Amino acid sequence: MRARLAAGAVLAVVVLLVPAIAGPFLRYLVLNMLLLALLALSFNLLFGMTGLLSFGQGAFYAGGAYSAALLLRAGVPLLWSILLGALAAAALAAVLGAFCVRHTRIYFSMLTLAFGMLVYAVVWKWTAVTGGDDGLIGIPRARIGLPGPLDFSLDSPARYYLFAAVLVLLSMAVLHRLSASPLGLALRAIRENAERAEFSGVPVRRTIYIAFVTAGLFAGLSGALLAPLEQTVSPSTAHWTKSAEPVMATLIGGPLSFLGPILGAVVYLGLKEIIVRFTEYWLLVFGLVLLAMVLVFRGGLVGAASRLRMPRRRT
Amino acid sequence: MAPRRGTTRRRFLKSTGLALAGLGLPRAIGAATADLKLKKPIKIGCQTILSGPLGGYGEFMRKGATLAMEEINAQGGIGGSPIEISFRDEELKVDVGVKNARYFVEDWGADFLIGIDSSAVALAVGEIMPSLNRILIVTHGATEKYNEDLVFKRHVRQCFRVCVPVYQDGIASALVAKDLPVKRWATISPDYEYGHTSWRMFRAYLKRFKPDVEFVGESFAKFGTVDFSSHISKVMGLSPEGIFSTEWGGEAVTMVKQAKLFKVFEQTKAFMIGMGAAMDVLQGLGADYPDGVWASGRYYFGYPDSAENKRFNEAFRKRWDTYPSYPSETAYTAVQALKKAVEKARSVETEKVIEALEGLELDRPAGKCVIRKEDHQAVYAVPWGQIRHDPKFPMPTLTNLKVFTTDEYYRKPPFAPVEG
Amino acid sequence: MLFQGLVGLSEAMYLWLVAAGLSLIFGVMRVLNFAHGSLYMLGAYFAWVAFRVSGSFWVALLVGPLVVAAVGWAMEFGFLRRVYSAPEAFQLLLTFAFVLILDDAVKLVFGPVYQSPPTPAALSGAVLIGHSVLPTYHLFILGVGALVGLGLWVFLEKTSFGLVIRATAADREMARALGVRASRLFTWVFILGAWLAGLGGALSMPVRAISPGMGELIIIEAFVVVVLGGLGSLRGAFVGSLLIGLLHAYGLLFMPVFELALGYMAMALVLIVRPWGLFGIREG
Repeated sequence: MRARLAAGAVLAVVVLLVPAIAGPFLRYLVLNMLLLALLALSFNLLFGMTGLLSFGQGAFYAGGAYSAALLLRAGVPLLWSILLGALAAAALAAVLGAFCVRHTRIYFSMLTLAFGMLVYAVVWKWTAVTGGDDGLIGIPRARIGLPGPLDFSLDSPARYYLFAAVLVLLSMAVLHRLSASPLGLALRAIRENAERAEFSGVPVRRTIYIAFVTAGLFAGLSGALLAPLEQTVSPSTAHWTKSAEPVMATLIGGPLSFLGPILGAVVYLGLKEIIVRFTEYWLLVFGLVLLAMVLVFRGGLVGAASRLRMPRRRT
Repeated sequence: MAPRRGTTRRRFLKSTGLALAGLGLPRAIGAATADLKLKKPIKIGCQTILSGPLGGYGEFMRKGATLAMEEINAQGGIGGSPIEISFRDEELKVDVGVKNARYFVEDWGADFLIGIDSSAVALAVGEIMPSLNRILIVTHGATEKYNEDLVFKRHVRQCFRVCVPVYQDGIASALVAKDLPVKRWATISPDYEYGHTSWRMFRAYLKRFKPDVEFVGESFAKFGTVDFSSHISKVMGLSPEGIFSTEWGGEAVTMVKQAKLFKVFEQTKAFMIGMGAAMDVLQGLGADYPDGVWASGRYYFGYPDSAENKRFNEAFRKRWDTYPSYPSETAYTAVQALKKAVEKARSVETEKVIEALEGLELDRPAGKCVIRKEDHQAVYAVPWGQIRHDPKFPMPTLTNLKVFTTDEYYRKPPFAPVEG
Repeated sequence: MLFQGLVGLSEAMYLWLVAAGLSLIFGVMRVLNFAHGSLYMLGAYFAWVAFRVSGSFWVALLVGPLVVAAVGWAMEFGFLRRVYSAPEAFQLLLTFAFVLILDDAVKLVFGPVYQSPPTPAALSGAVLIGHSVLPTYHLFILGVGALVGLGLWVFLEKTSFGLVIRATAADREMARALGVRASRLFTWVFILGAWLAGLGGALSMPVRAISPGMGELIIIEAFVVVVLGGLGSLRGAFVGSLLIGLLHAYGLLFMPVFELALGYMAMALVLIVRPWGLFGIREG
């Protein structure tokens, strides 16, 4: 437990030091990594604990991004836009989740995929509100919206980075607490054996539903934080290719540990960033790396690392 | 960005052994020795679509920009500074486009940005150009919102464009259509802004030129349509006399091939494709391209019959062993325009080069051109023409070229809304 | 009106060929093959090469899918086999890696420009149905789709190998207990699935533009089809394809605004009402 706390503290310090030591692009890239890490953690709340693979986190990511963008454009202060954006995504998850929690395994994945693409279609076609395929542009990064002297402006990218990083770190702490909470225990019991969990008094569907909505909330927060960063929101936030990103990050990093999705997000975006600098054929190189990873590190990087460590401990 | 800070950053990266080493390094400021005493090299970041079904566009764009770079560097660069171009895949995604632009400016040290195929990406990247404080010259994205709203109405002065906007697809097409023996028009076009805007402009202007036309139906196909059969049969069920389309790339190829199977060309009097004269469509359709189809693009290699165009074609074919497509010309022109503007401004500073670009006159392969001061749009004429199979060429070409003056078909400030 | 439906059905046939292989592979191996669209793409490219070499569409139609079957063998034997014991999600990730690799490999070898050989003369005619023109090629594709459906039915119902496939799809443990050699079966099923996707690609070659990334344009739609029909059920894949084809064709007529959404709406509706798809087997 103490080691985990230390790891968390180190992560927080490194993340918060980034603006002081990194250039603007690295800072921007790290914030992208943090947002993907949060999205992947939200995805892994269900996947890591219950094995339910959502292929539609993009729906909630886009839900958060578009809601926050619309609020910001309407002049609502930043903090409230972002929190309301996340809540809007949670509301969307509350509606869609009611249909999804009855499904298991691949059918769950496919239903979430369908809902994700339906959100994509709505965003694409509802031009009057969403700006259609051009998306919403000119999203302001204005005042934070706290009372009195705390109401500073987040117009500067460095300040916005700190603001977003703090929110992401807080969310990570909450998600980490959740995994050790009764909800987390119930989810794990469901993964081991859903029927037995039901018999021992765990309301399976309700537990999954709560986790689904919580995942939607944090995916929405990740999307809401994106809107002022890019100052643009486009339909691709809801597309299945976006929903695939947290899946890949989690699988690369390892779904069985809390750090896995975070590490996976850093590796996924970092690797792509490095590869595109060397070759136009980045799909090929990235695919080969992915292939090697699956064949060599089954269970993700963190899983592989702990397997390496285990035998040493035993001796 | 202070150099001192950069060195600490570098030390930090090295000492922590971050996998991301190499990111965020400060950009090198070259020693000033040449006549204009500019930084060396002058860096241009170009982003274009390099992967997936539309990757051919990026390939052609890269060839054009690279040719310009090689020609300029062979002649001593821009005011004595060689230029360097870096290419990144735009993926037609807004977030990727924004990230690329940030990388180019904030990390790689780009002095200028060019490229961009998607209208949505052009608008999004245009939006952040003031904060990046660099000039962006768009070479493909065609939405009129870019010059009319972003530049003219909202004064985002860093944004320029050297390719003709949707006026080519929506207004010049109406000038062609008014003289065709067609009264009933229908469309099969892409289901996004570009497709809808072009069709709206076409209807509004054609109605103005020829009040007795009818628009009998439309079928908008989603992005990434692989089969147009049911779109074609839907539209043909309305018995149109002419079909107007703004499908492009592989989708245009598929649509024409299938329209041919459905004998659309026998049943209608005219078929118009705004992007049909793009080299990838000409080469992709080859012998399957029916004679007489009206086609256009952002540049057609056979027009104009000028010394500069002849030279460009020869140089391009010598270098790449293919005919240039329009993104090749527009990217080539973007680089050449930057050279001219920087030498005129005697500086690479954004504000000075903006002033130099405004009203700049260019003799580009596509013809004489001026960059309009009010909306930063390059104004030049591109022909419409009819497909024919000339044994002298390895692909279909255009005949019966219709060229309109830019005065006839470029919308002008203050850009009254398009009715209809 | 009816004619529009016929056109929709002809579009559905390509989808059926891809979905058939996808569903077959899932039924037996429980692997959702993301790279199935890429095999379709390879089918088109290999057929195109065969066409360039031989000058005959029919040779291309024969050779292209066979080469894809060989690629399928290499994929299964060289890679997939190593991850059968890993969780499903990692198998999905592996096939996704193939999507990326094959897209760029094709671009590297063939270039990014659209390849599109002419439609064979014998099939570029048309027939008049009422006042509407239906291309001969569309009739041809309808015939091929039906023939493949019939062939698969005979193969699965009437041959002993088909029986093994059906038994394994129904109950893997039972089949193993009865002495089915899973590894050889998996290889052959994957080869068959790859061949079907390759056939779809080869058939699309003369009437659709061939380009890198063309597989991604159809793979999600193929997912929709097999899930709608019920994973692992060939009958489901067939009916699902026809349904999506008709829905698309008539959707364009009556509610074009929903073109993007219709397939997903159908899938969501079916899954809400029947969580295991139209013809799927109810899971645990």
